[in-house]
Amino acid sequence: MARVKLTDTRKETRTLAGRPVPVVVTPRFARRGRLAVFADALASLLAGMRLTFGYLVRPSTVVTRQYPENRATLKLPARFRARLRLTLDEHGYQRCTACRLCERACPNASIRILTRPGALSKHELDRYIWRMDSCVFCNACVQSCPFGALEMTAEFEHAVFDRRLLIFTLNRYAGPPASVLLKEPDEAKRAAAMEPRDPYGGPVPLNGTDLPYLKALAVAPRPDPVRHAAAPAPGGQA
Amino acid sequence: MTVNVKTLNDIIAPPGAAASALATEEYFVNMGPQHPIAHGSLRLVVRLDGETVREVIPVPGFVHRGIEKMAEHLSWRQLIHLTDRTDYLSALMNNWAVARTIEQAAGLATNDRIETVRTIVAELQRLQSHALWWGVLGMDLGAFTPFLYGFREREVISEIFEDTIGARLTMNYIQPGGLMYDIHPDFAQKTKRVLAYLKPKIDEYGTLLSGNVILQERLRNIGVLPAARAIALGCTGPVLRASGVPCDLRKVEPYGVYASAEFDVPVGSKGDCWDRYCVRIEEMRQSIRIVEQLIDHIPEGPHTTVKFGARIKVPEGIHYGQIETARGILGVTIVAGGKADAPYRLHFRSPNFNNLWAVTELARGWRIADIIAIQSTLDLVVPDIDR
Repeated sequence: MARVKLTDTRKETRTLAGRPVPVVVTPRFARRGRLAVFADALASLLAGMRLTFGYLVRPSTVVTRQYPENRATLKLPARFRARLRLTLDEHGYQRCTACRLCERACPNASIRILTRPGALSKHELDRYIWRMDSCVFCNACVQSCPFGALEMTAEFEHAVFDRRLLIFTLNRYAGPPASVLLKEPDEAKRAAAMEPRDPYGGPVPLNGTDLPYLKALAVAPRPDPVRHAAAPAPGGQA
Repeated sequence: MTVNVKTLNDIIAPPGAAASALATEEYFVNMGPQHPIAHGSLRLVVRLDGETVREVIPVPGFVHRGIEKMAEHLSWRQLIHLTDRTDYLSALMNNWAVARTIEQAAGLATNDRIETVRTIVAELQRLQSHALWWGVLGMDLGAFTPFLYGFREREVISEIFEDTIGARLTMNYIQPGGLMYDIHPDFAQKTKRVLAYLKPKIDEYGTLLSGNVILQERLRNIGVLPAARAIALGCTGPVLRASGVPCDLRKVEPYGVYASAEFDVPVGSKGDCWDRYCVRIEEMRQSIRIVEQLIDHIPEGPHTTVKFGARIKVPEGIHYGQIETARGILGVTIVAGGKADAPYRLHFRSPNFNNLWAVTELARGWRIADIIAIQSTLDLVVPDIDR
């Protein structure tokens, strides 16, 4: 035996359920003398060794990428699905109209949208809460959005020491979408309609609001109206 | 009528006397749930006489997540992502199986572009899956180097998927009525580059592992599965074909654009571990052949025929669809009706579940070390068994 070439295949036609199927029969071992078998066996071991040694002495063939040393040059594909983001238009306004289509499209309720009555529109986005800890990155939210308000970004380094940090408020401000804001000619009124939101505030259980090392991140200056009265304000600053 | 249900306790209760002149006893050993060859969490209770295997009793269920039950609460579109997590090495083919069944049931038409792209990505994934299997087989049998080589090949195909699909494992790309995205502009060019790279690498597999005398001795004539037993056990895919049955849905019941591609079905002659090994290596060559024929002839057209927001109406009744994944036939049974936009019941006929039970027959009478070779050449993905 030994000495078998995987390319020594035999072509033939067999029938299955009355239908001809072209098959290729895989090779078996040829009968050989004991000495020939021994020589083949030794040669097969050496051939494998030569191959691996060949890679060892040719560093150009090494495919290993040195992460995290290569972080600066690391390029991920544009479609890579890692972290959800609300897109901004050229003025820096959000496109999200809080229509809840993504909330409905999400297979495991990772998205929660809180709305409130607004100054410029009847109903506006208050908080866009995304639970990355239960997200499966299926892209259904991005596909369901008719306004292009969502995108998956290639930011893939998600490791944190506290799982509460995986629950995000995605919107940078509570307020109407770009389509409504741009109808308002007064710059000051626009700015007044946009109330800043921090990524970790909000009424979600287990979110990162109360972590002491996050207080510096909190930008919301006043108590959230939706929050439970007894709970501390976002960032504990109010 | 009464049915006697054998529990694990019934099976393992009376250890019989060993067939030995010495005063010895049979004993049980647990292989797994944490064992490197389990490729997941699979417990094999092995009844041993010395080192000879008398019986192997698989105890699956450690990765059970209730995927079929979860699907009953998700819409036709949402449940596709669950299939990524059954047999994760053929995620695209699982997506396709469910999407195709829904399309057939709901009467959704696709176009040539969609079907061609589906066929190409499915074949690339088959290549990727077999490359990983080859590496893991080497590692199971004690050679670590093939594992790294297998992953090297897997990586280049993963990069194609990253560009077009945006994911490396949980694809969720093939959806009812189309694809999530159109292919990346560089898709064809990159795929051709990868195929040119892969062809010599598969010959390299021959040098490194197939020609190796140690591997040959551990696979040759071990765990022979006769064709009749393979059919009786419901084995499909390379396991069945290695026993000499040319059953490949791509040929027998063509879907996608397999009918227009020219390829052969690799079959074995004996049904031992070596045949199962060779069949998969040859399948990689055939997959390259299929992709090469299709990659230059991707027709133009939209990448989906159904808008994302459009409601998919599946008529009431039982619908079945099946395709050939990297491990065998994945059948999807959908019972529609009762609820508006979700299946009443969804069942997978998963190839791994049926292939798993072959181990109970194959390992009997062989040594404990042969279980490793048998298990490895069956190429089981445990999350697909448990679902």
